[in-house]
Amino acid sequence: MIELEDLWKVFGTDEQAVLREARRSLPDQEILKRHRAVIGVAGAQLSVGHGELLCIMGLSGSGKSTLVRLINRLLEPSAGRVRIDGQDIIQLGNKALRELRSTRIGMVFQSHALIDHLSIRDNVALPLEIRGVARTQREDRADELLAHVGLTGLGDGRVRALSGGMQQRVGLARALAADPDILLMDEPFSALDPLIRHDLQTQFMALSADLRKTTVFVTHDVEEAFRIADRVVLMRAGRIVQIGTPQQLLDQPADDYVARFMGHTNPAYREKKQPLEARENA
Amino acid sequence: MSEGTAREQAIDRFVGSNGPYYRRAFKTIGERKGYVPSFNVAAFLLGPIWLSGRRIWSAFWPFLIADLLAVVIIAYALSGGDSVDLAARANQLEDLAARRQVEAQDASAQNAASNLAKSLSRSATALQQAAADARETAEQAQADTWLFTAMGVGLLAASRLLQGAFSNHLAERRFRAWRLEGDAAKGGFSLPSAAAAAVLLAVLVPTVLLSFADRTLFQAVPSDPTWNSRAAEWLDGLIAAISFAVRPAAIGLTAGISAVLGLMENALTATPWPVVMALILAVAWQLAGFRVFLLTFVAISYLALLGYWEKSMQTVALLGTAAFISIAIGIPLGVLCGYNKRVAAFIRPLLDFMQTMPAFVYLIPVIALFGIGKPSGIIATIIFGIPPVVRLTALGIANVPPSVREAAIAFGASRLFLLLKVDLPTAAPSIMAGVSQTILMCLSMVVIAALIGAKGLGEDVLHALQYAAQGQGLLAGLAILVCAIVLDRIVQGRGRPSH
Repeated sequence: MIELEDLWKVFGTDEQAVLREARRSLPDQEILKRHRAVIGVAGAQLSVGHGELLCIMGLSGSGKSTLVRLINRLLEPSAGRVRIDGQDIIQLGNKALRELRSTRIGMVFQSHALIDHLSIRDNVALPLEIRGVARTQREDRADELLAHVGLTGLGDGRVRALSGGMQQRVGLARALAADPDILLMDEPFSALDPLIRHDLQTQFMALSADLRKTTVFVTHDVEEAFRIADRVVLMRAGRIVQIGTPQQLLDQPADDYVARFMGHTNPAYREKKQPLEARENA
Repeated sequence: MSEGTAREQAIDRFVGSNGPYYRRAFKTIGERKGYVPSFNVAAFLLGPIWLSGRRIWSAFWPFLIADLLAVVIIAYALSGGDSVDLAARANQLEDLAARRQVEAQDASAQNAASNLAKSLSRSATALQQAAADARETAEQAQADTWLFTAMGVGLLAASRLLQGAFSNHLAERRFRAWRLEGDAAKGGFSLPSAAAAAVLLAVLVPTVLLSFADRTLFQAVPSDPTWNSRAAEWLDGLIAAISFAVRPAAIGLTAGISAVLGLMENALTATPWPVVMALILAVAWQLAGFRVFLLTFVAISYLALLGYWEKSMQTVALLGTAAFISIAIGIPLGVLCGYNKRVAAFIRPLLDFMQTMPAFVYLIPVIALFGIGKPSGIIATIIFGIPPVVRLTALGIANVPPSVREAAIAFGASRLFLLLKVDLPTAAPSIMAGVSQTILMCLSMVVIAALIGAKGLGEDVLHALQYAAQGQGLLAGLAILVCAIVLDRIVQGRGRPSH
């Protein structure tokens, strides 16, 4: 369970001053220009349930990547709380934070972010290496995961030799290596071409139905959100505009912006996902 | 004015005034490939002032200098050219000859047969001859001034003709840049800029004319030798104070360097030479392949047969110590620079300074601090050799993709893990390039290091230089070159597949 309470992120030198002004009223361009600051996330209030797959949607610059990086403190919040199973992770010291990252949180990046000079297997095993797992053990685990994502027997190769889709599978295997209970995915499929993206979505859905990880999934693709999300968060200029199931956002948009955003999808391609309860009963 | 195609209207906006002329000119220029003649009379007449008004600085400065040079030549020629100095010299000689003549007459009046009188009269004759020669040369020079004048006028004409012939083309190129960037500062004709150029010419040209009208006017550059000597004295004091203050540290450092050097030298010279040679050959083969092995074999044969073996091992020990210390300091420093922009901003000018400063200059304080001998040579070598490894390490670290580092952090990596498992391996190719460059830089210092008592091949070159022994010098220099090539090939060969 992830809970975000009144979470803020201001980029710039004068974080706290901008924050005070922004809390009083909606910051206009002038405040931002005066402080040369950018507001990444403004007062996010959100909770993600166990095993839930939550999509964060929004246009470029709406703060969705920033929000997901606040959850594992890749970025330090300017204000607010992040709780994981009740524990406030903002209070964690360096060592405890590293421990949390290496045991409980897996992350997938849009740019793969794989390490060139390591083999594919060593890339997958990286989180285990960081945790200090012995070499033979982590290599076995990495091979197992590679098989899981459909890359059986490719562990010896180099990352560079793989296609974009395959590299992203390696990234996914790496995120799962430490068997975390939380998955953070920052536009993992956005850079792939449509067919491969669809394949990977399908595979990911199967995997995620299997593993039941609490997942925060960033995307700008409404169709993708429809396919995979239990609930959707729509962000605009750092603020959360609406939270709900994809259908709710479509049927009862909170405002004009939501309606327009959701409108840019072809209903014919919308595959609806079964509600969480229905899947759990199945 | 506002009629015509979009291009023509843009031309109007670009030039500000005289649109129709430039419409036609740019059209002609654009119509065919290559150079199309198009002469701009305004540019021909105004020269640099026109270019300045159009703010075409890349052409303004060369043409301004060409114009000024032409003025200088003409003024020089018109004011008499070389003949002024030569005539002055002839006058001097004539004076001297006349005086000597008088002295000779006086002497012969006293005693016509004396040696003094004879030598004075000989001297007077010689001086007269010299004076006559000088006078002739001066007159010749006077006659030649028309040539100088013609050269100056020719230069001015050529410069202006070029400006007239190319100005429209330059303006057209500027027009395209202006359209691309929409930079208002590139369009139009700037009266202030033109005026500034005119003022510049109005100051410089009369100054030139004045200085040739009265040649004594700007002969001496205003300088005060006492400032120089006072500053030097102050620096002397400073260096003395520093060398006194850091004496204990300097002694420690010298001892440390000597220890490393001793170890290396012993390893290379105390070990029987066949063993050392065999090891070097084996390493070359293993790391860089068969061709480098062959090269190394030839190189070692050269060094051994011509009697440079011992000395080249001393050189390699010296260089090895310097390179080792450079790398041991340089890589951590480079990593620091790669991580921290502020440190980098502080270190970078320091490195520039170390690389640009002529080695002879910092030899002086190095001697003051560390005395004469091998450790000083090594320190001087390090100063020159360390910049590349620092720079390239910093570059490699700074070029590690941020996304890769972010991913490692997201999986809980510590700073040490990031450094050892992500940053350094990713930056390794760049770091290796730095190491190889540092080694070569160190080698290029051996002769200079020999100046302050470092032994080895450098010493031989130095001796050859002192006694102008060309053959010896070339052979020793070649030995250094051979060492450099072998070292470079072996270090470069590292990491390459060895077949």
